Amino acid sequence: MRRKLLAIAVLAIFGAVKLPLEERVTHDLRGRRMLAEPLRLGVGEDLGQAGLAAALGGLRGLAACMFQLRAHVEFTNVNWAKVDSLYKLVTRLQPRQARYWDEASWHMAYNAASYYLYNQELKPALRGQLYHDHVMRGVAILEEGLKFLPDNPRLWQKLGETHWHRTKEFKKAGDAYWESFQHGGLAFTERFAGYAWAQSNDPESWRKGYALLKRLYDKGGPTPGLVEYLKLLEQNLKIPAARRIPDLVPLRKGPDPQEGPVR
Amino acid sequence: MIDITQNPVSTATPKVRFSPRRVWTLAMATVTQLIRMKILAFLVLFCLLAAGAGFAFSVINPEQQLNLLKSVTLGALQIFSIVIGVVSTALLLPKDLEDRTLYTILSKPVPRFDYLLGKLLGVLLLIGGGLIVMDVVLSLVLWLRQTMLLDSYVASLRLENMDSPEALAQVREIVAKQGLTWNLHWAVWAIFLKAAVVTTVALLLSSIASSTLFTIVITFCVTIIGHGESLIREFFFRPYLSSLAGRSAAFVLAALCPDLAQFDIVDSVVNGETVPWGAIYDMTGIAALYMTVYLFVTHLLFVEKEL
Amino acid sequence: MPDTPAVIVNHLTKVFKGPLGKGAFRAVHDLSLQVKSGEVYGLIGPNGSGKSTTMKAVLGLLKPTEGSTSIFGIPSTEVSSRHSVGFLPENPYFYKHLTGRETLHFYGSLCDMRGEKLKTRVNEMLALTGLEDAATRRVGGYSKGMLQRLGLAQALIHEPRLLVLDEPTAGVDPAGSRIIRDLIIEFRTRGITVLVTSHLLEQMQEVCDRVGIMAHGRMVREGRLQDLIAVGNQTEMVLENASPELQEKIKALVQAEGGNTRLLRSGQPRTTLERLFIEAANEPKKP
Repeated sequence: MRRKLLAIAVLAIFGAVKLPLEERVTHDLRGRRMLAEPLRLGVGEDLGQAGLAAALGGLRGLAACMFQLRAHVEFTNVNWAKVDSLYKLVTRLQPRQARYWDEASWHMAYNAASYYLYNQELKPALRGQLYHDHVMRGVAILEEGLKFLPDNPRLWQKLGETHWHRTKEFKKAGDAYWESFQHGGLAFTERFAGYAWAQSNDPESWRKGYALLKRLYDKGGPTPGLVEYLKLLEQNLKIPAARRIPDLVPLRKGPDPQEGPVR
Repeated sequence: MIDITQNPVSTATPKVRFSPRRVWTLAMATVTQLIRMKILAFLVLFCLLAAGAGFAFSVINPEQQLNLLKSVTLGALQIFSIVIGVVSTALLLPKDLEDRTLYTILSKPVPRFDYLLGKLLGVLLLIGGGLIVMDVVLSLVLWLRQTMLLDSYVASLRLENMDSPEALAQVREIVAKQGLTWNLHWAVWAIFLKAAVVTTVALLLSSIASSTLFTIVITFCVTIIGHGESLIREFFFRPYLSSLAGRSAAFVLAALCPDLAQFDIVDSVVNGETVPWGAIYDMTGIAALYMTVYLFVTHLLFVEKEL
Repeated sequence: MPDTPAVIVNHLTKVFKGPLGKGAFRAVHDLSLQVKSGEVYGLIGPNGSGKSTTMKAVLGLLKPTEGSTSIFGIPSTEVSSRHSVGFLPENPYFYKHLTGRETLHFYGSLCDMRGEKLKTRVNEMLALTGLEDAATRRVGGYSKGMLQRLGLAQALIHEPRLLVLDEPTAGVDPAGSRIIRDLIIEFRTRGITVLVTSHLLEQMQEVCDRVGIMAHGRMVREGRLQDLIAVGNQTEMVLENASPELQEKIKALVQAEGGNTRLLRSGQPRTTLERLFIEAANEPKKP
């Protein structure tokens, strides 16, 4: 009996002592990006019993995978609302996994948006509206993902691409590419930041773009794209002719595009 | 005629001390018993699952496929290790008692602590061995899949004339990050640590339980609560979140259950994060602490148990 | 220490508490007994009389509520007391996935035996209990008698000075139980002390030097077997090939004696069913 009481006492004391220790280890592991933040479900997000049990049983990754597969099935059924809500669950379960944000956004901004844009059964005005809404949804998903992963180059790059190809907001695209490059993104994102800024309507962005592209130009190895956008920026910023870079190829005089670029 | 007692009067009765060799004997008997009970048939199932997850779902992109392969197989590994740990521990002790095997063992010069440790070690060896086999299978499938996917993806990019150095570098980077790395083995280590803690809890419970079913059910409850223990702890540490009664209940639950979510690095590893040494020390240390204390408590309860 | 009794049970009382401390049950009440070194001591009594509880207390499997027990002078609560005792529980089961040889190897290793010595000892025990042919078979396929013999072999593996046997012949066929009985007699000649419980009294009669009879957790009779069962005022005489005339003469002689002398019964003695069974079972197989 005495030992039983001792056993209970040991359990109780250890229980009290371990709590701060667990708190520290968990904090430490979260800091090292080894553990996910606790699951925060909003109202109306229904994991289902199996999903919740899996999430609590340490199988969040697996549950997310399963929801993603279901989303894929809904994607083949072109049920965009369902794809969106399933990806919402997936990203709730695995907010630190960039590829889920990437895929969720890609489905909305590209697949769903294009589906509505080219849907002949809808009225033209509605098609445009739905296209716009889904592109914006894609952007919103990436922006939400960036709250969890503010220094993820891939998400910044995807945001840049979405702004470039879908919303045509080149200032934002340039800013996003630049963030991507700043956070260790692929080499081309630096160039693309400049290209995007060049196409924006914002003089401040032109200046940033010019400084960036000129630096790349001076480093050597100018590609046709680099020269084109630098030329565009020289025009926009009214750079004196003496300081302008030479054209890569002779300018064309006639209407035939094969003869070379125009200024 | 055979001499039964070569030394019928041995006056020296040495004091019985803890003996690693004896513990090992008990552990190996446990392993043999479990293996011959064909408990490792799960391994075959796992290999099929790994192959299935590796080569099915070819519709999605390479990154998704590798990710899915890792998520599914590491998830299965977690389930395997915990279920085997709980069920075999819950079965072994009551069965020894029921079959009176325990009487024959403990009527030999075997301290009860040696017996407990031997049983625990046996189950852990089995889980560890199973995990190593599955780790090898998983690594092999992942490596194969990774090579095949990269080749076919590069070929398709080339076909579409999109094989710019940037695009190729990006694909290579993604596939390398999602493919076979050392991190995968650390994830398996974390899975082992979690299963080891749960198994020790099962041993503790089975030393007081009157039935196998009780042990299994309560251990699974502890496992589930243990995964949410960090949330419960939050209730306790943040007074504004709940009332005094709520906090007391939270304290009792959190104090009784180990925090199993500390070992959930699998998701981060699937995500391609690198596991730092500090994280490995943290997890291993806390698992060792849980196991030591729970085993000590089990010993306190078992040493007085009337058989 | 040749004078140290093999077993001392000193005012042993064991009370089992029910759930939440209610419904307590007194299994053994103030029991004292001694088993001398080298003797075969039979503890007999009906089911539930406290025999097994006493044995478990002696082996340290149960903690006495009051009193104490010891083996060769070492308290049963100490693990080292188990060096000199081998135990065969009632209806033993072993790890059924191990073979007979592996089982003995396992128990030997638990007693810190190893190497060649253990191997030799295992072979000896297999030979002694007649399990050599079954040594490589899994224990799961053993018959009850084989399990019992394997139980004896494991109890003896570490050469103990005391054997504790709980119902060694329960559920075993007569041939099997005869083998076990012969083994017990063999142990005695080898100087091993045996403490045995059984409710098969006839067998106990054949092997025990002393018996104790338990009922309701108490010792009700104890002593040398011959003293306990001898009927002092009767004489038995068995004749072979006696003619009816001789029998008549004897009857007449008894009558002539007069006084208190009476002939109580005469007739053909019957062989026991057990003996008949063994004879029939041992007849050579018909082609």
